[in-house]
Amino acid sequence: MSTETADEITSRPSERATVERMYRYVFFACASVSIAVTLGIVGLLGWNAVEFFTLPEVNPVGFFTGTEFLLSRDQFGVLPLLTGTLLVTIISAMIALPIGTAAAVYLSEYASDRARSVLKPALEILAGIPTVVYGIFALVYVTPFLRTFGFPLNTFNVLSASVMVGIMIIPMVSSLSEDAMSAVPDSLRQAAYGMGATKFEVSTGVVIPAAISGIFSSYILALSRAIGETMIVAVAMGSRSRMFDFANPLQNLWEGNQPMTAAMVQINSADNVSGPGFLSMFAIGMTLFVVTFLMNLASNRIAARYREEYE
Amino acid sequence: MAAETPSWAQQAGQVSRLRGRAFEAICLASTSLALVSVMVLLLFVANDAFRPFEAEPALTFAIPVLPGLELFVVPVVLPAYLLVFGATLGLPVALTALYYYRRDDPAGEVAYATLGLPIVSLLVSAGVLVMFIEVLTVSELFATELALLVAVGAIYGHARLRPRKAVERLAIIIVAPVVALAGLPPAMFNDIVNGIAGLAGVGPVLTTRLFSVRELVLASPFLPVRWVMLLATVTLPVVAIFAPILARRRESREAGLALGGLSMIVAALGLVAAPALGVGSDVWIVVASVTVPPLAVYVEGVVRRREGMAGLAFPLVLIGGALAGWLLVQQVGFGMPDPWLDWGFLTNAHSRFSAEKTGIYPPLVGSVMMLFAIVILIFPVGVGAAIYLEEYAPSQGLAGKFVTLIEINIGNLAGVPSVVYGLLGLALFIRFLSMPVGAIIVGALAVGLLILPIVIISAQEAIRAVPDSHREASYGMGATRWQTIRDVVLPQAFPGILTGTILALGRAIGETAPLLMIGMPAIVRRAPDGFFATGSAMPRQIFRWSKEFDPLYRHGVLAAGVVTLLVVLLIMNGTAIILRNKFQREETA
Repeated sequence: MSTETADEITSRPSERATVERMYRYVFFACASVSIAVTLGIVGLLGWNAVEFFTLPEVNPVGFFTGTEFLLSRDQFGVLPLLTGTLLVTIISAMIALPIGTAAAVYLSEYASDRARSVLKPALEILAGIPTVVYGIFALVYVTPFLRTFGFPLNTFNVLSASVMVGIMIIPMVSSLSEDAMSAVPDSLRQAAYGMGATKFEVSTGVVIPAAISGIFSSYILALSRAIGETMIVAVAMGSRSRMFDFANPLQNLWEGNQPMTAAMVQINSADNVSGPGFLSMFAIGMTLFVVTFLMNLASNRIAARYREEYE
Repeated sequence: MAAETPSWAQQAGQVSRLRGRAFEAICLASTSLALVSVMVLLLFVANDAFRPFEAEPALTFAIPVLPGLELFVVPVVLPAYLLVFGATLGLPVALTALYYYRRDDPAGEVAYATLGLPIVSLLVSAGVLVMFIEVLTVSELFATELALLVAVGAIYGHARLRPRKAVERLAIIIVAPVVALAGLPPAMFNDIVNGIAGLAGVGPVLTTRLFSVRELVLASPFLPVRWVMLLATVTLPVVAIFAPILARRRESREAGLALGGLSMIVAALGLVAAPALGVGSDVWIVVASVTVPPLAVYVEGVVRRREGMAGLAFPLVLIGGALAGWLLVQQVGFGMPDPWLDWGFLTNAHSRFSAEKTGIYPPLVGSVMMLFAIVILIFPVGVGAAIYLEEYAPSQGLAGKFVTLIEINIGNLAGVPSVVYGLLGLALFIRFLSMPVGAIIVGALAVGLLILPIVIISAQEAIRAVPDSHREASYGMGATRWQTIRDVVLPQAFPGILTGTILALGRAIGETAPLLMIGMPAIVRRAPDGFFATGSAMPRQIFRWSKEFDPLYRHGVLAAGVVTLLVVLLIMNGTAIILRNKFQREETA
């Protein structure tokens, strides 16, 4: 080893430098793979989506305004899928946002160090459970459980799937919000205590407003996760798309439905490999990608832009 | 923040305790709600998979939840065998755990690790065995390893003989493995060229080629007997990893050699002992080779530090209790339950006729092979990207802008839905590059691209945690940037990178949507025999079973599949956590 080092010190630099440059290029290529992936998604999905819209039996306006999605009759209205996605997202958000925020407040403000060291990893384990397992929980255990409360649920229904999606995204809300709350400097809390505030008032009046940008960005990320969630809805919500029924809003929860992601899975398992139905999958996928990508960007922007800066 | 006067500033003296207490209670309840509900669901699914309460004879009684009220009476069934095991296994384990917890000793962690290490090693050896049975033969593995050895020897020899010729060495690093493993040119290349020539109406163009070391070994008539090859291919590499660790720690070559000798002897003992126990000697050799060396190194460390030695007793309590309980139950003749998740489930394929005979073996093999492929394909790229972003990336100018773009892009890619990656895999690998539909390699690529951002981000964090002073010391001694990365940064960041990668692989093993999109078949009768063969994976199979309405599937097969998947995942995450704790302890020490 020692002789080798001596050799390297006295060697001519030019050859070493060539190798150094080569390593730099190799690593740069590795880093560029991520850009290639994004370009690949945009390019390939976009190309196939354009192919779909230029098919004679497809009407681009009808795609975005049609209220029926039926592969067998070449009906490609995306609205029922969109309302299905919205329904799942809204119900899961109603569960995950309050619970996740409250959990974050508890972890950051109330929990002892020991409790935090147990609860935080435990919540992260929830995020690690495969989503297909959550789907099976919804289908096999949650639906019969909810029926005992008298909800008239079908075997495949929106409610239990959405509840499971909500539980799945709780860790995302709680851990990112907790990070934001923990980043609030202690001096602010001390100042409020000094003015006679109680712990409740410090939590709700000082910490949450100071961490609000982080909390919001966690909300957006969680919502984008709920929009993109595939397996829970594919397992537990059935495979019939339904337009939202405004006359009977609760009925929508008892019945099955099909959001965008589940529709893609179903189209893929059908056998026509180049028909308009198959290509419509790419149009839906592109829509999904654009929506979630924009939401992630917005989340980053909000976190960066509206962050209260403390030294 | 707004400048209005806060509400509490005016009303001093009217402090209400109730509101604060209620708020804290709500927050605590929310935290527990998610945890408890999922925990209960996990218990339900475990109950369905193992059916622990369905065995005769059993004690049955009813517990009134509210005394005096006949409405809420919970019927309890307590099989006799459970009571026996509770006495021989449950109670001692609980008492030992309580002892560790109360004394707040490092013993608890030691117990966790001595139990976890063999389990992880067993899982690894199961993976190795599966690869043997389904993909490679022992002689192929032997030839491959010999070839790799020759390649490494060539590189090392060049570094010794001509230390200054860096460019030459780079060329050798690239060429030597190709020559050793595939020959020059690789057989596949010749086949493709000749195939094209055949289509064009010309005879075979390339007829001569330099044979690879691998091919030469395989063709040689002097291949050693099977068990010698097994010892050489499985035991020796493991020993080569762990013996130097021990030798360095004890600062004696003898200790390392002793460990090596011990492992070889235990492994070779399988030739005699395994048939007596009714196991194949191959199984013994593989299991012993991957279990003994790491366990020996760990136990040696515990004994040397004299910290938490009581923890070493935990596996003995566990194994002894289980054995005693089993013997007792056999003697008395109590019935045992018939779990869905049993050996038959793990080793059978899906059966069209009977839920009882259905199994998860082919998808299990598919999942293992996919993990293998993901590690080989994605790990180098992810770590390379992290190295570039942390060590090389310029922060100014046009290039700096590009790097910022890459960073933002990686963050966003981590949030793209998995089903979109499936579409990418379908469009890119199957429709554009026309790779086989539903092949293991396509699934690995799609899921691998999905976890790539996670691998990059965690590797970046691990590299960032290496203090700058170490880099500067290395530069100060005249090392170049790559030498610094290779000899200073990567060795220190490696445990962190490993932890992050295992966690990402845990994500990969449960991903289903991409597999559906690239057309993995719902039912596979035989395990895939290569990376380009069509295969299934555990979550794909579970999704298929979720379509069965039969309660035998709903509350039986499905539950068993879910528990299998979760156990594999739990072990992977547990390994990552042990590694992280060990790493953090060494950091602070």
